[in-house]
Amino acid sequence: MSHSHGGGDMMMMMPMTFYFGFKNVELLFSGLVINTAGEMAGAFVAVFLLAMFYEGLKIARESLLRKSQVSIRYNSMPVPGPNGTILMETHKTVGQQMLSFPHLLQTVLHIIQVVISYFLMLIFMTYNGYLCIAVAAGAGTGYFLFSWKKAVVVNITEHCH
Amino acid sequence: MHFVFSDKVVLLFDFWSVHSPTGMVLSVLVVLLLAVLYEGIKVGKAKLLHQALGSLPISISQPISISQQVIAEPDQDSAGSDSPAVGRTRLRWFLYHFGQSLVHVAQVVIGYFVMLAVMSYNTWIFLGVILGSAVGYYLAYPLLSTG
Repeated sequence: MSHSHGGGDMMMMMPMTFYFGFKNVELLFSGLVINTAGEMAGAFVAVFLLAMFYEGLKIARESLLRKSQVSIRYNSMPVPGPNGTILMETHKTVGQQMLSFPHLLQTVLHIIQVVISYFLMLIFMTYNGYLCIAVAAGAGTGYFLFSWKKAVVVNITEHCH
Repeated sequence: MHFVFSDKVVLLFDFWSVHSPTGMVLSVLVVLLLAVLYEGIKVGKAKLLHQALGSLPISISQPISISQQVIAEPDQDSAGSDSPAVGRTRLRWFLYHFGQSLVHVAQVVIGYFVMLAVMSYNTWIFLGVILGSAVGYYLAYPLLSTG
C-alpha cells in the first residue's frame, strides 16, 4: 500500500478553539509569523487600528453617499384627480449616475471595505485570543469615535426637530 | 473540507465538546439562540438610535445652518447660554453613545462567533444558525417600523 500525502498531515494545523498564546502564530500572510510577546503586541496594535479604520471607512462611505446624492430628477405625470380634474403628480428620484466620479469613488471604497472585512474575518479565524480581542476593541473604538459625528449629522439633516 | 453530519464537534472553546445526540441538540439550540440574538441586536441598535434622537433637545442642534455641508459637533454650540442644561444633555448623549458602542462590540463578537460556529462544517450546527437567523429576522424586523 503506497500512497503519498501531498502536504503532510492536515490535523491541528489550524486551531479550532480559542487560545491565548504568542508562539508560532501565523497571521494572514506566509512571511508574517509572530514568535515573541513584542511581536504580538505590535500585531495587536496593527489589528486594532485596522478594525478602527474599517468602522471609519463605513461611516465615511455613508456620508459621502449622502453628500453626493444631490442630483435629483423630477418626473411629472398627469393623473386623474377628484371631480374629473387632472393633477400633476411629481416623482422625485435621488441617485447617482454610473460614470460620475462619486459613484466610481464609492466603488473603489467598496472594494477596499470588502477586502478589509475579509481580512478581519481571517484574523478572527486564527482563534488567537489576543488578536480577537484586538478586533472587537478596535471595532468598538472606531464605532464610538466615528459614529459620534454621524449621529449628529443624521439628527440635523433627517429629522424635523 | 466539506459539510458532515456528525454527533461529535468542538465548538469555539475547549470545554464545549459535543459527543452525544443530546449534547448536539443542546448545542444546536444554543447556536440557534445566538443567531436570534444577533438579529435582535441589529434591530435593537436602530431603535436605540431612533429613541435617542427623538429625545434630544433642540439646544444642541440649534447653532447649525441649513446647509448639509456643515457638520456640527456637540462641543461647538454657543458658549454661555444654558450651560448646566446643555452640559447635562451632552453627558446624556455621551452615555447613550457609549452604550451604543458597547452594543456594537457585542454585535461584532456575536457575529464572529456565529461565523466560527458555521466554520465547524457540522451540518446540524449550520442548520441551527440558518433557522436562528430566520426566526430572529422574522421576530425582530417588524419592530423596526413600529414606534
